[in-house]
Amino acid sequence: MSLAKLFLGKRAEKLPGDNFDKEPVERSGLQHTLYVIRRDVLAMFSVGWIALMLIFAIFAPIISPYPEQGRGRNNADYRLLAPSSDNWMGTDELGRDVLSRLIYGARPAMVASLIVVSAAMLIGTPLGAIAGYYGGWIDEVIMRITDLFLAFPSLLLAMAIVSLAGPGLLNAVMALVVSWWPWYTRLVRSTTRSLRSQYFVEAARSIGVRDSVIITRHILPNTITPIIVQATIDIGTVILATTSLAFLGLGTQAPNADWGLMIEQGRQYLRDAWWYSMFPGIAIFLTVLAFNLLGDTLRDIFDPRQYR
Amino acid sequence: MKRQFTLLLVLSLLLMLVGSNYAQEPQVLRVATTRAITTWNPATSFSTEANYIANIYETLVVVNAPGAEEEFSPALATSWETSEDGLTWTFNLREGVTFHDGASLTADAVVRSIDLAREIGGAGFIWFPLSTVEAVDDLTVQFNLAYPAPLPLILGSTYGAWIISPDALDAYAADETYFDSGVAAGTGPYMLAEYTPDAEIVLMANEDYWGGWNDNQFDILQFSIVADAVTQEQLLLGGEADFADRLPPSSYDAFVENPDFEVFTEETLFNYVGFLNVLRPPLDDVTFRQALSYATPYQQIIDVAAEGLATQARGAVPQGVFPYSEDVPQYTYDVEMAQQLLADSGVDPSTVSLRITYAAENAVEETMAPLLKDAWEEALGIEVTIEAILFGQQWEEAKSDPANAQDVFLLLYWPTYSDAGADNLWSMFRSSEAPFFNLSYWANEDFDALIDEAGTVSGTDLEAARDLYTQAQTIMVEEAPGLFFMDVGAWYAVPTYITGFEYNLNYPFSIYFYDFEIAA
Amino acid sequence: MQKLEYTLRRLFLSLLVLLGMTVVTFALTRIVPSNPASLYLGTRARPEQLEAAREELGLNDPIPQQYMRYLGDLLRGDLGNSLATRQPITKEILSRLPATAELLLAALLIAILAGIPLGVFSAQLHGKPADIFVRAFSIIGVSLPQFWLGLLLQLFFGLWLDWLPIASRIDSTLRFTSPIQNITGLFLVDSLITCNWIAFQDAFLHIILPAITLAAYPIGLIARMTRASMLEVMGQNYIRTAEAYGLRRRLIIYVYALKNAIIPTLTVIGLTFAYSLTGAFYVEIIFNWPGLGLFTARSFLNLDFPAIMGITLFGATGYIIINLVIDLLQAYIDPRVSLS
Repeated sequence: MSLAKLFLGKRAEKLPGDNFDKEPVERSGLQHTLYVIRRDVLAMFSVGWIALMLIFAIFAPIISPYPEQGRGRNNADYRLLAPSSDNWMGTDELGRDVLSRLIYGARPAMVASLIVVSAAMLIGTPLGAIAGYYGGWIDEVIMRITDLFLAFPSLLLAMAIVSLAGPGLLNAVMALVVSWWPWYTRLVRSTTRSLRSQYFVEAARSIGVRDSVIITRHILPNTITPIIVQATIDIGTVILATTSLAFLGLGTQAPNADWGLMIEQGRQYLRDAWWYSMFPGIAIFLTVLAFNLLGDTLRDIFDPRQYR
Repeated sequence: MKRQFTLLLVLSLLLMLVGSNYAQEPQVLRVATTRAITTWNPATSFSTEANYIANIYETLVVVNAPGAEEEFSPALATSWETSEDGLTWTFNLREGVTFHDGASLTADAVVRSIDLAREIGGAGFIWFPLSTVEAVDDLTVQFNLAYPAPLPLILGSTYGAWIISPDALDAYAADETYFDSGVAAGTGPYMLAEYTPDAEIVLMANEDYWGGWNDNQFDILQFSIVADAVTQEQLLLGGEADFADRLPPSSYDAFVENPDFEVFTEETLFNYVGFLNVLRPPLDDVTFRQALSYATPYQQIIDVAAEGLATQARGAVPQGVFPYSEDVPQYTYDVEMAQQLLADSGVDPSTVSLRITYAAENAVEETMAPLLKDAWEEALGIEVTIEAILFGQQWEEAKSDPANAQDVFLLLYWPTYSDAGADNLWSMFRSSEAPFFNLSYWANEDFDALIDEAGTVSGTDLEAARDLYTQAQTIMVEEAPGLFFMDVGAWYAVPTYITGFEYNLNYPFSIYFYDFEIAA
Repeated sequence: MQKLEYTLRRLFLSLLVLLGMTVVTFALTRIVPSNPASLYLGTRARPEQLEAAREELGLNDPIPQQYMRYLGDLLRGDLGNSLATRQPITKEILSRLPATAELLLAALLIAILAGIPLGVFSAQLHGKPADIFVRAFSIIGVSLPQFWLGLLLQLFFGLWLDWLPIASRIDSTLRFTSPIQNITGLFLVDSLITCNWIAFQDAFLHIILPAITLAAYPIGLIARMTRASMLEVMGQNYIRTAEAYGLRRRLIIYVYALKNAIIPTLTVIGLTFAYSLTGAFYVEIIFNWPGLGLFTARSFLNLDFPAIMGITLFGATGYIIINLVIDLLQAYIDPRVSLS
């Protein structure tokens, strides 16, 4: 399924502030999306910040001023130094450059959340589509299992799993996948159900098109947009979750860099070395903010019935 | 009617005013502490609740801090003597002491308390040398040992030697949960008044305490359990707490310069040890282990992980505790030497990958592990990984299958009572069938023989025992089944309006609040 | 009749889900390699004592039997005993509940009192440049990591400005000089009822920072929801009719529009209450608030598996109940909701 098909059709729409004398411009879906984003300050910020975080994550060894320290090597003679021209964000209790640690910290944040969301989507979408399409007892069974997992406050379940299975980023990721997939099942199921009753599905079935083809060719493409919106916002939420787990000591382990872990380790030095806890927190905040804003903007584009 | 009523009102108001002048406000000591209760049962107590147990219960003797004139102070026992062969000890009890529940202190109570601790206590092993204990008369207790041992040290232990009221023991025999919510069954200066698990403990003064009271002491001790050092510091500085037992290491200098506080820096009997798994190559090679010992940055660990408040260890016996000796050798951080030894051992560094495990809850170990990793990788060219595991699991893994266990196990240790020969050396490095604390899985006959002999000799001649222990430790250090990092210290910042604070390292988790007084 | 049927069905399903949860939590704790016996006795216990403890705790029985025993206890309201404190877990949870409840209620109050007016205000700004700031503000609320916000507030108001206390519920001296009578367990309420002004003031100062930290997320959600539904309502015909009649603007907004816009917001409020349970966890850790969250943290770190199971079940049960109540309320109040 090509990317162009993703944004169905062309859109022509007047936005507030447009000059009424101008002819409405015709744009493809993707162009329209970019147009909207470019006009919206917040959306521009969010795309920019996410790009920056991705660059941090991918190019960490090249970008960070002290890549060795970012990976965990200590520099014990320069402990807890205030921000200076050598260390823009100061150093931590083992003398490591906070900025480098911050850059390396983008890795677990971005990678883990992308994995969690992708896995949740991959597991939840087919289940939801099957449940919504076939209905009946298949639907009941799948929904009951989904409800079971949804019944746990998500972070609590993840915490329980990780503390019992042993701390570490891998276990945290797995635990979060277990907590997250039900949301996608539900989302896809409800969209599938409403689509299923539409005429084009009836028409296809009456011709004799196989169920699997109907689901993959006709139904799923139409569920993509709410999934994308949800996924975008979820990446941010999962980043909050992984850093929260790391804060508790249940996620990424020392000496690897992780924003949540840095906040926890910096906590005992809060009075004298505020930079240690503060900068990673700002990083988490801005990243989650960016994803939330982007998700919001995408939702506005895909579902204009919502008031902005 | 109205007039009578007014009169009554005025009278009662007057009474309240007068009454309140007489009623003295209790003097409350507010403590922020990290120490939680795992059990209120003094016979089985084996953890941080010693902080409270030590103020509620008493032992027969108190082991004095190093540097005191006498080695022991009488507590519930006033005097004692031992036979020539060191196998029979006789203790005379203090007269007129009563327990919090009214029972009297008799030799019978002592016998029953010790028998109970011996049987069910986690620290019951301290009584191994004891054969029988019996009451000669109401105020005299006789201990018959199977082999000579320093009995007063054992009797002054912070675990397993508390004297409990016989009435309470009766109640406990009938109901196993008797102690669980906290009862007053000791002879000590304070009694348990209130207990909210994980949150708060309130102790109130025992009016009839045999040591007596003066006006400046505290009537009520209120403990708030605060796990976080920064929070404790805030409470102390903000005047919401009068005493804190864990402050952030980085605040040491600030408190020293603060005129409202006096800072006490103390030696403790905590030390950090790293066990090397001698069953797994290349750690089975002595020369390689020695190389690691020379590649360990002792001073850096002290400066960074302990914020300078530690001294490098000599063997496994902490400074200030018997049988410490300056004659026990120690390694230095010498990279050249380490590389030389590595070459001598013939081990190929590129094939070596060592896994260090440490307790995730321990902030010092968390800082120590990366320092070790970097130093060893740099000096020896080997690969090192570090793994934080929750202590319970770290323990499980180490004891279950040595072949698959960790390579290096970092441990914070402290002896149960102040005999680090019988405790530290015996528990940590003596060979045993199933690993108890010997997580290096080391077995050396000479070492075993020496400390077994020393244990027996220590009952009669401490100095001779010390010599034997030193010989044993010398072998141990040379064989390097473990790394002997540091003996840590502790520091306390006490507000100047309180006097009497004294730290006794023999009671690592306890502060004797009876000594505290409001400054004049 | 349909409503009754719906109610019964939802109840039954909820019970099934609860049962499923017990299986899940039980399975989790048995899969994991930990040694509950050594937690029970302390790490210095000797092997024989450990073995005895395992027998006593029933750890050597076959797993299905252990599960049935656990289920039986649950039905009697017995969540077992914490391995670390040896107290019944039910008692531990219930004794800490008032502290957490007070925190949650305070946060919710702040969130409602701040969020709704904010939402209304921002709805009025729709289309204007200032709208961006207000939109951003509400999204900021849901993007902040709560544990970091708590630290930030501690740093500013506690350590740097020294205006507010940063830990605990109340100054411990007050326990002896002006103790609060225990009526509801909520310090603010109890001290107010008994006219204990000193204690009230102190408890109030202590709850400010943690409550604000916890309220950040709900404020964002509530503001957005109010804004969205206000906008929808404002566009309705009857509002325009009211405007045409010349009714005062304020009256229109606050009385007519808001009343209708509130309903979806109520749903959100209920949901954020459930979400805040997890948030309270972190806030309690940062501020050393003696509630359920601190107990949970210790239990997880100690691998106190009866406590972990108990808390997870308790939290999940509360979650289910709240969701059930909201669903039922919606069904009864809002006729547009389908009962399928």
